[in-house]
Amino acid sequence: MISWLKQHCSIQSFIKTRTAIIVLIVGFVIWFGAAFAMDQKQIFLPGQTSEGHHLFEASCSSCHEGFKPVSNDNCNRCHEAELAADVHGVKKFRDPRWAVLLEDIDVLTCTACHNEHVQMFGRGVHLHPDLCMACHEGIIQGDLASHDGFTPDGCWTAGCHNFHDHRSISTAFLTQNLDQPFMLPTPEVPELGVEVTLDRAPTPDLDREFLGGGT
Amino acid sequence: MKLMPVLFCGVMLWLGLSAIAPLTPIAIASPITQAQLDEITTQWQDSTHALADVNCSSCHQNEETQEFVQAPGYESCQSCHEPETETFLLGKHGIRLQEGLSPLTPALARLPMHAEASDRPLNCNTCHDVHALQTRPAAVDACLTCHNDTHSNNYKNSPHATLFSPAGELPRPDASAVTCATCHLPRQTLGETDRVFVNHNNTYTLLPRDRMVSDVCMNCHGLEHSYNSIFDDDLVEANFDQRPTQEMETFELIRAFEQQRSSQNAPETPPE
Repeated sequence: MISWLKQHCSIQSFIKTRTAIIVLIVGFVIWFGAAFAMDQKQIFLPGQTSEGHHLFEASCSSCHEGFKPVSNDNCNRCHEAELAADVHGVKKFRDPRWAVLLEDIDVLTCTACHNEHVQMFGRGVHLHPDLCMACHEGIIQGDLASHDGFTPDGCWTAGCHNFHDHRSISTAFLTQNLDQPFMLPTPEVPELGVEVTLDRAPTPDLDREFLGGGT
Repeated sequence: MKLMPVLFCGVMLWLGLSAIAPLTPIAIASPITQAQLDEITTQWQDSTHALADVNCSSCHQNEETQEFVQAPGYESCQSCHEPETETFLLGKHGIRLQEGLSPLTPALARLPMHAEASDRPLNCNTCHDVHALQTRPAAVDACLTCHNDTHSNNYKNSPHATLFSPAGELPRPDASAVTCATCHLPRQTLGETDRVFVNHNNTYTLLPRDRMVSDVCMNCHGLEHSYNSIFDDDLVEANFDQRPTQEMETFELIRAFEQQRSSQNAPETPPE
């Protein structure tokens, strides 16, 4: 009697487990299917999206082509202006003196430094603040007396250097503009010009359409 | 017992559906009254659009199909205001539209926003009154309709705000006014040309901060004042209500470097 019960119970529990697994799988399929069908793909996000990108995080294909790694082309689709004067761009690394450094860190690939969906240090897409040390460690270790002993994460966090765009922070630019007064001699923003072609407004060329009259 | 799998499926389906955020309400354009039409016509007649021969049909009629368009989208503005629209689509305000999503609403923002504005969809005409065509309200008032953070709310305490109030009248802020837009949607020259356009990519000058220094601050202020201000988080919060007190070490280093260079007269490789 007891052995019969034991056998019966184990069969029952096997059936229960099997049912539970099937139901679980069906459930997940419905859940993911619903997310795709209703265009709510945020549920697939592996972590917090950066400040700049979170507003369109539901659009996976904005950055991802299937499961391929995010390419520079994906980034450049929006960030061309920011990289217009990239001092760490392709041109710099054509020089064999610097090309060898790409073996330490491939800075010509955006994702070598910038990581999305991981919370690290907020500046655009997340990146480690001490990445400069991959090539420039000597600067804080005696190669440049004035920078000896500086912290490895301070190059840009302290507001002194900009990896991509030197235009307003290079030594030359800063030297050239030292000791300027609080207000420059002619403080003003560019004037926005607007060209008009008529002396007076023409007759409105649509009317009834706005009142629901159709075209 | 047979009910269990059914119940389980039900729960999973409910979980799936709960992952779906409430859909953003989209303003559906409906016909307007004669009085509203008259008011709009009056506004347009006094606007630069009218004097530039931009008539109703220029925006409210599809050029190819001749079909009437009650509520034109950004594409309509783009046909004349190309760089403005392109840059708008690359900034936070317009990126959702560029990526084929519903327009941005303040509800989606991580920055503090006014609760009553949370469902306002962001299109060109959210900030620009497209018929009266005055950019003065778009320069400050439009921003403060949604933005509710300390920096934005402190604008009124800034000397910049006093420059804006008396400076010129409608339709657009003159060159001596400093508004939200002056710094965040700055007037720039287009490429190598002399043509001035308004860069509507609101994130372009935001970070890194040194980009704002050269592109915006140094239109009026000296270099050191600009850097010392913009890298002082408290002063940014206070919207630059006083002169900076910090002196960034970077300028000490530059001075020392210059002194060394002129005394040795032998150039050393500058820190990059």
